[in-house]
Amino acid sequence: MSEEIDFDAILGKYHSDPYDYVEICATHTGRVSFKIAEGDTVNSPSGEWLHIPGSPLFEITRERNTKLVTAKTNGTISTVRTELEGQFVEAGEKLLTIRHPLRKKEVIEGILKEVLYLFPAPERAKYFFSLDIQSRIEKKGAKALTIKPGDEIIIMSLMKRDTPIYYTGEAGVIHSVYFSPGVSVDQGQPLIGVCALDKLPLIQKVITRVKADWDKLVDPAHLEE
Amino acid sequence: MAAINRPTPASLRHYIWQQEKRDRSRNPLFPSPEKILRYGAFVGSEIQCHSTMDRTMDQARHHISELEKAGASVASGTVILADTLSRSKGRFARSWHAPVGGLWGCLILADTFLTRARTLLPLSLGVSCCEAVRDLGVDKASVRWVNDVLFSGQKLAGFLVESFLSPHHGETFHLLGFGVNINNTCFPHDLEKTAVSLCQILGTPVNLHDFTLSFLAKMAWNIGLLAYEEEQELDRYCSSEEEESHLLLDQWKSLSDTLGRRVVYGYDIQQKPQYEARVTGIRADGAIVMRLNDGNEIIEHSGELHYL
Repeated sequence: MSEEIDFDAILGKYHSDPYDYVEICATHTGRVSFKIAEGDTVNSPSGEWLHIPGSPLFEITRERNTKLVTAKTNGTISTVRTELEGQFVEAGEKLLTIRHPLRKKEVIEGILKEVLYLFPAPERAKYFFSLDIQSRIEKKGAKALTIKPGDEIIIMSLMKRDTPIYYTGEAGVIHSVYFSPGVSVDQGQPLIGVCALDKLPLIQKVITRVKADWDKLVDPAHLEE
Repeated sequence: MAAINRPTPASLRHYIWQQEKRDRSRNPLFPSPEKILRYGAFVGSEIQCHSTMDRTMDQARHHISELEKAGASVASGTVILADTLSRSKGRFARSWHAPVGGLWGCLILADTFLTRARTLLPLSLGVSCCEAVRDLGVDKASVRWVNDVLFSGQKLAGFLVESFLSPHHGETFHLLGFGVNINNTCFPHDLEKTAVSLCQILGTPVNLHDFTLSFLAKMAWNIGLLAYEEEQELDRYCSSEEEESHLLLDQWKSLSDTLGRRVVYGYDIQQKPQYEARVTGIRADGAIVMRLNDGNEIIEHSGELHYL
């Protein structure tokens, strides 16, 4: 990350287009049947445990096994590849795009995710900090905790099998924690965002600047807090 | 001081190829009992017996590390037993009472499993223990998801699986910790109403050595099932996991009383119970399916249940 950040450029980008464009791809091979059309509004999972599925997006049928794929994020359907309706697609084929309106917190997280080292989840599972790390966080807070490659930082829990996860990124402090104990994290999603000690002031500057300039730069009627 | 419970690899092999093979061959559902037992025959390839130690899981990690340091490798299937443990613990640093009379130990397995077998590995402990207990005539023993063994709602056995990355060679091992209340009859005050031992259920002491052989032989069978099913799966080259059956999962279903029960679910149920639901199924990957009061289904791959 450069020591010089063009805040106006970054915030201007979010001001002119305050959306995330989430591409939804085929989860595996199969025949596709869309449940939405361009312009439709879709909802993300809801309920106290996020157990109520999001809006149906499409069905994909493989070997007479039909799977309904639902939205994981809210927004508006901006593109649908209608030419694929009823067709057989390969895994990974792009099917549609959801235009997701960003909130201030998401903008900050989005910028931070570009500058932090993101340590990903190795499997879809539940995660919690190792006992040693947890007690140090409770005493001093995550941002006072320096971790380095090889440290046992997180326990992955799957079917009552607990696996220690060793940190493999650059040394630094745990700036952002993206998991909650008891909530499943998908494979590849970030668990923590780590920042080198000398970059901390810069990170703080980003957050302060976004918070301060948000209302000036973004039409409040357009976005949620 | 010499350990009281001293099974040997030879006595376990004898048990597996005489008793276990004969019992399994009677069941027409199992197509190749000998093949399945051969797959799991490495269980108990080495058995260490101690009179006392802190924790068998710690000893397992130490054993693996020391062997590697000496330029050797641990034998997959090594079993570490102790008559009593001084610092045993369950999940989330919960204490586990492990006095003389119980079966306390750890099985070391090298990670040679594919993803599905690795995920189902914890089920093999509960299934093996429940089978061994039922062999003694305790037909009401059952498995509560994931692998607790209960008798009339009281906990007879608990298990803990931890993975371990060896420090020198970077090899992954699974450490399968087991604790079964056999002849121990005194429990700490807070466990008196929730724990039970085999001796209390049967009203007479149980031969600890024989039970150990029976449990380990069943572990050999159920670990063998995982490998056997892997072979079948690779032969079929089929990956629609929702439709696939699995012999270990079938056996789990036949021993479990979880399906259909109303439960409280929590990731750490003692500290933070999360919600009430009814269990409606178990998926091919071992995840539990529950229906919440609002009618929606929820799937959990990890966590704990209490029955209501």
